[in-house]
Amino acid sequence: MIELRHLRKEYEGTTPLEDVNITINNGDIIAVIGPSGTGKSTLLRCINMLETPTSGEVVVDGQVINDGKCDLNEVRKKMGMVFQSFNLFGHLTVIENIMNPQITLLGRSRQEAYDKAMDLLNKVGLWAKALSYPDELSGGQQQRIAIARTLAMDPEIILFDEPTSALDPSMIGEVQSIIRMIAKTGRTMMIVTHEMDFAKKIANRVIFMSEGIVYEEGTPKEIFEHPKKELTRKFIQRLSTITYRIESRDFDFEAVAEELQQYAEKLLIENERTSKLQLCLEELVMNNLFEFEGDPNIFVSIDYSEKSDILSLELKYAGEHFDPETCDSLLFKSILAEPTTTLLDETVTGKWYTNHTKIDFKWEDQ
Amino acid sequence: MKNTYKTLTSDKTSRLRRTLTLLLALVIAISAVNMPAIFADGEDSSEGEQMQPKNGITKIEDLNNKTIGVQTGVLYEDEIKDEIEGEEWMYYKMPNDMIAALEANKIDAYLIEEVGFYAQRYEHPELMRLEEKAGQSEFAVIIGNNDKQDTLYKQMQEFIAEGKKSGWLDQLYDYWVKNWNPNTCKIENVPTTTGENGKVIIAIEGGYEPFSFETANGVSGYDVEFMMNFCAKYGYQWDFWTMEFDSIAPGAISGKYDFGMNIVVDEERAEDSVLTDWYYVCDLVFVVEGEYETEMGFFERMAYNFNKTFIREDRWKLFLEGMGRTMMITVLSIVFGTILGFAAYMACRHGNKVANFITGVINWLIEGIPTVVFLMILAFVIFGKSTLAADWISIIGFTFIFGCGMYGMLQVGFGAIHKGQFEAATAMGYSDTQSFFKILLPQAAQHFLPIYKSNVVSLIKETSVVGYIAVRDLTKMGDLVRSRTYLAFFALIAVAILYFVMEAVLVFIVKRVQIKVDPRRRSKDKILEGIKEAE
Repeated sequence: MIELRHLRKEYEGTTPLEDVNITINNGDIIAVIGPSGTGKSTLLRCINMLETPTSGEVVVDGQVINDGKCDLNEVRKKMGMVFQSFNLFGHLTVIENIMNPQITLLGRSRQEAYDKAMDLLNKVGLWAKALSYPDELSGGQQQRIAIARTLAMDPEIILFDEPTSALDPSMIGEVQSIIRMIAKTGRTMMIVTHEMDFAKKIANRVIFMSEGIVYEEGTPKEIFEHPKKELTRKFIQRLSTITYRIESRDFDFEAVAEELQQYAEKLLIENERTSKLQLCLEELVMNNLFEFEGDPNIFVSIDYSEKSDILSLELKYAGEHFDPETCDSLLFKSILAEPTTTLLDETVTGKWYTNHTKIDFKWEDQ
Repeated sequence: MKNTYKTLTSDKTSRLRRTLTLLLALVIAISAVNMPAIFADGEDSSEGEQMQPKNGITKIEDLNNKTIGVQTGVLYEDEIKDEIEGEEWMYYKMPNDMIAALEANKIDAYLIEEVGFYAQRYEHPELMRLEEKAGQSEFAVIIGNNDKQDTLYKQMQEFIAEGKKSGWLDQLYDYWVKNWNPNTCKIENVPTTTGENGKVIIAIEGGYEPFSFETANGVSGYDVEFMMNFCAKYGYQWDFWTMEFDSIAPGAISGKYDFGMNIVVDEERAEDSVLTDWYYVCDLVFVVEGEYETEMGFFERMAYNFNKTFIREDRWKLFLEGMGRTMMITVLSIVFGTILGFAAYMACRHGNKVANFITGVINWLIEGIPTVVFLMILAFVIFGKSTLAADWISIIGFTFIFGCGMYGMLQVGFGAIHKGQFEAATAMGYSDTQSFFKILLPQAAQHFLPIYKSNVVSLIKETSVVGYIAVRDLTKMGDLVRSRTYLAFFALIAVAILYFVMEAVLVFIVKRVQIKVDPRRRSKDKILEGIKEAE
């Protein structure tokens, strides 16, 4: 059992962990989710003391490990960690990567270590790569070896730090299925991940971290389907909605394009449809709304509804009204003219904005 | 892996080819210079006739607007400067370098004491002097600036005065200088000394016939016999140190040496150093190249030169001795430097402020100071008063130089390793030491060993400057032989080849180590040593 009591971590100028209290029971499979930069990885790295907490206590099996008196190396032998960047030892073969820590740290004989390593390589389906060097393997294969290396140490808990973030999308599946396989053996695990679907299916507890604290905690069902608190709700909703506030003419449309690309990949939206949306956004905002005087104040929201299969772009802004129909761009006009595109343009009496433009993109296979 | 191997071999062949080409080019160049000699073979030489200077210089006034060579530190040029106009002075380390410069038309004449000229003409009959005297110089002994100074000064003054009075100095001068013959002159009776008053260090040039020169049985010459007799009379043990001429006075002034020989008496010098009365006086002459045709053929001449450079007086032993010393200095500096650099890295690697500051300052100093200057500072300033052998001073110097390189290499090597390697090891429970030696070092070694190899090669070449602080290394030994034979070719080529040999040996060793520690070159059997593979 691991307890985190009032854990706080400060760096110069930033405090990723404000005050974190978590109890990890044996057999728990905890998924840690939340926006980037909310200290999820820092939290994980504080548990095995790769980062030293500024204050608070990490208690492992009743023993405080961050008081400077504890033999950390002994505690760490009981905790495995799987890194985003795999971190296999580059100068050793796959089999040695799994054998050597057992020999050095657990005092196993070479034969014992070898048998254990081969058994695990079998389990992750890579026994044929025993004599390869890490850089000869794909990212997915390396991560599977890294998991086997961790398992070889028979840890009581495994900490996964975004295990699939650095992987090519085609390799995410193989690594996730290995992790699922371990989950079935009842080992305690804590996983920091951005793969919500994976988190939902594998975890028995989900922790939503925001602003350096455990903001909301519950079962996957509670967090993903009935989040109670506002930020959690926004985060879960944002999984299918992207919003921006454009307040300057220096707005970075490149970043939007990138995010849109990832968004489309995640939700399986056709590239052509997102490019159309991107075009419309740039045409309306960059070429027309930016022409008006004064600083822009435009609220953009991009939303996809899986049920109706409609991708929509919504603009809300104050000030002078712009009618999309009067746009000069031929390309924009041709997109509007398509039967799968629907335009809604109106003036409203809102508190913050007075104009509302919405374009829906449907999809029809030709 | 195959590729790497291929590159290594082709590297080796190209290096070999380059070396051979270089040697060939040198041989051709030298033979071209000697070509006239080949065709002159068999013709009657015009002996007995007065030799004519090649460039028509016969009087001192002909030297106006010419280039004139002179040895660094002797200050002869001060005597004659005012009588020539528009001349340019070129400075040379060793008197013999001036012969080569003259023959290569780099200088039109050179200024040397009469004695040196007679010694040189023995091997170079083409040299001739201008009839006019260029001046006269008095030579004295400089007394080391240490606590023995007063006593030694009084004793030396007394010794010189008595020698002049009794005519012993004249006899000595007649034997070594006036009747100089390099084949027969030697110290007939080495005087015996009680040595009751301790040891004195005597700085001599060592490449300066007939005053001090190297033989297979040790140093010999006018200065040596003079000092042996002095030591015998006053009960000292002698210890002769050979060095570059221009290191003698600074070393004595720093108090490192008790006596420095053959110092030209000069007012400015007398101000900040203690000089005795002169112990010999000698005319200064200008030397030019005359029209001279040798009777020897090319191969005959080569054989003669070879014989003189290596066989006579067992001079090959001098080369071996120098090579041994260069090797010792290099190897010990590499070993100590590696340890020093490693220790410095270990002390600094966790960001210890004191260790980092000290290492930073030392690195900054050593990187900024030229090697020769650094060695001279060590020898004449830091260890100025100590009697620590020059060999050890140079080892200390190069240990620091190599240590700095090693420290830099380790920084680069470890810096190239992704920090995840250390984190993964730590997270598994490896202690700091375990992860350093088992995970980081093997990977860093692959990054820094190639640099290490080139540092080893540059170190062995850099050690060639230790002659400045009186270490008889390979380069210095080559110089000493050259100064005896007045022949440059074989001595220089031999020195170059021996450096190549030493480099090859050291590089071979480092390469073996590199292969040995390369984890990727292990066989499957080695990786799975002692393991029964289950089917």
